[in-house]
Amino acid sequence: MKRTFAVVTDSTADLPDDWRERYDIEVVPLKVLFGEETFRDGVDINNREFFERLATSTKLPTTSAPSPGEFAEVYERLAKDYDGCISIHIGAQLSATAESARVGAQSVEGFKVAVIDSETVTMPMAFLCKVAAESASLDQATAAVKQRIPGCRVLALLDTLRYIEMGGRVSRAQAMIGTMLDLKPLLLVKDREIKPVDRVRTRSRAIPRMLEFFESDLPVEYVGVMHAQAPEDADRVAAGLRERHPDLEVPISQIGCVLGTHTGPKALGLVYIKK
Amino acid sequence: MSPELNQGVDGPLFKRALLGSLSWLSANHEEVNRLNVFPVPDGDTGTNMLLTLQSAVEDIKESDAAEVSKIAKLASHGSLMGARGNSGVILSQIFRGFARAVEGKSSLTPAELAAAFEEAANAAYRAVNKPTEGTILTVAREAGRAAAAAAATPGATVPRVIAAAADGARAAVLKTPSQLQILRDAGVVDAGGFGLQVILEGMLKTIEESESLNGALAMSRPQTPVASQMAVALPEEGWGYCTEFLIEGSDLDLDVIKNQIEALGNSVLVVGEPELVKVHVHTDDPTRVITLAGRHGKLLKLNVGDMSTQHRRILEDEGQAARAPRPNGVGLVAVVAGRGLVEIFRGLGVDAIVEGGQTMNPSTQDMLTAIESVPYDEVILLPNNKNVILAAKQVLGLTKKKVHVLETHSVPQGVAAVVAFRAERPGAENLAAMKVEADRVHTIDVTHAVRDSRSNGLKVKKGDVIGLINDKLEAAGSDYAEVVNKALGKLDGTFELITVYRGKDATDDELAQLESEIRSRYPGLEVEVQQGGQQHYPFILSVE
Repeated sequence: MKRTFAVVTDSTADLPDDWRERYDIEVVPLKVLFGEETFRDGVDINNREFFERLATSTKLPTTSAPSPGEFAEVYERLAKDYDGCISIHIGAQLSATAESARVGAQSVEGFKVAVIDSETVTMPMAFLCKVAAESASLDQATAAVKQRIPGCRVLALLDTLRYIEMGGRVSRAQAMIGTMLDLKPLLLVKDREIKPVDRVRTRSRAIPRMLEFFESDLPVEYVGVMHAQAPEDADRVAAGLRERHPDLEVPISQIGCVLGTHTGPKALGLVYIKK
Repeated sequence: MSPELNQGVDGPLFKRALLGSLSWLSANHEEVNRLNVFPVPDGDTGTNMLLTLQSAVEDIKESDAAEVSKIAKLASHGSLMGARGNSGVILSQIFRGFARAVEGKSSLTPAELAAAFEEAANAAYRAVNKPTEGTILTVAREAGRAAAAAAATPGATVPRVIAAAADGARAAVLKTPSQLQILRDAGVVDAGGFGLQVILEGMLKTIEESESLNGALAMSRPQTPVASQMAVALPEEGWGYCTEFLIEGSDLDLDVIKNQIEALGNSVLVVGEPELVKVHVHTDDPTRVITLAGRHGKLLKLNVGDMSTQHRRILEDEGQAARAPRPNGVGLVAVVAGRGLVEIFRGLGVDAIVEGGQTMNPSTQDMLTAIESVPYDEVILLPNNKNVILAAKQVLGLTKKKVHVLETHSVPQGVAAVVAFRAERPGAENLAAMKVEADRVHTIDVTHAVRDSRSNGLKVKKGDVIGLINDKLEAAGSDYAEVVNKALGKLDGTFELITVYRGKDATDDELAQLESEIRSRYPGLEVEVQQGGQQHYPFILSVE
């Protein structure tokens, strides 16, 4: 049976490769700016091209939310086929996207848009989209998604603090790194905040720490692994998870351009929604 | 009066004004970026506003519409399509409100223009979920109010209304730090509000220029013409001093004091009673403020803070996070020598440093003093040298505090241990985890033999370069790179990271040679160089 409502998200959901088709999700791209050049995340630039450019760029890129007009265009198009939509977006503490969606929705009449501030970023949003897509009605989808927002977690290992620091989202002191030493921070996105969990000197020490942290935070409903151009490490984390939790599907997805601007290359993420 | 003076705002004029805004914002957007601390200090407010305005103006460039309503509509649509960031979205709503207000009009009288400014601000307020004062919203409203006031005066003209709006915006921007704590803390004005000020000033500049081109008018200029140049230059001049005090006296007149103080600065706050008045002001001249206030009574609790320093401090990130008391109540004390190493240990969160090491063993008393100075009853002490461990252990019987001596033999072990320390974990658990990490690290000390000797099967002459792995002589040779190579070759196992702590006596060339040698021999390894500044050991290497 065809859904009567559409599922919309933005490109920071970092959907696994085939989810867009599998769950019929509409993705509105954020933008990445290298100097004066603007790229739509995942449309004008893919992840590989982005990280290649990031490596050679002298000035760090910046990111920006889709405009209200762009959201309005998407909603107007969807209004032809659906009664309404749920629009799930990156946490408002991190981006103006949800606000932009809300303003955009105001200009489309007769089409119900439930804009959701996910309070999180990246693949937990993908899980929320899946939850919405599998719901029977827009109201049920909205309720099911909202219920899961407090349980969303992103445990991220950054290879360097440089990018997130330059982006202004986290300072060295906040990451427990008040030193010149090149430490790799382990950060947790939870309850609208980015908090330090640990700091390590080497990647091989970090992966067991990530798994250990995850095990202390059970039970979980969904879990996935993210990486920024570090597929082997992601496979190692996923293998560790599958070994201990054979019942859980562990999708692997890539950190996209917008999030990548703040994490930098070689970041690893263990993302989940608590039960 | 020339006819131009009474000219209303028609399509071509509004178009020119917007293009002027764009070029003025374009010239100043980096300045706006630098102010950006709210809601997220990511330094892109100016860029976002510029891109939004560019998008607003895009279609206008091609249009030769005579009606102001058509140009305003294009701007509204373009800005909505191109809106970026919070400030950009709000700016687009300002354009939207303006366009609605001027719908169907071909030209605006000064009063109509002012009304449109006010409606623009109202639309922006309505669009935002939780309007915050002290932001672009407040600035838009104040600009609208000032424009309305100017339009209500006899002989009002379009340039005067715009000048009043720009002035109103500037005044509102200067007040934003008193409305928003985060701006006050950062010692900046609101970036988005400042961006709007720049946009209005851009309009004003354009209109003034075209007026003078027409040769029509010697307009009564606003009190600070092209106000932005002053405002833009503000950061270079510093943020002034945050000056606070109490005045004790009798029959103090708050209004009089307030008027006097207001002339000397901004963010002025004068509150209290006739016997005791609290004064707060941001001023470039605290001495004058104090002298003046002193005439009214006795000054108490005087506090003058350099806001430029406050701002720098925020930039340098010596935030509260590093200073907040630890939940586990455990302090850290380390024995280290060398300026760079001291910095590294401090940066990692060590509370007190005892200067010392290989040739300068600190006394038990030195360590005891450091331990007593730390605001925790439980302390982990890191000797970081095997010759210090014994003296460190003597501390145990001399203090009421619960002291753990973690027997780190070297700087690399000490660093590894401190990295593993976690503020929310109890002392005993921390100690165990720190020990595991310390034991995981190999240390290579590189120095010169002080005399001829034979040790561990190696014969060395005085002055030879020697390498010690975990305190044992394992390599000797004539230069640092050679000895490090030999030492690395003797280590078993797989490694990921080599940290080189450069000593005081190592030259740039020696460092470069060592680094390139390690990188070419071990291409898969990460190599990190830190300025240790230690004496006697040109290089200390941490291998993990």
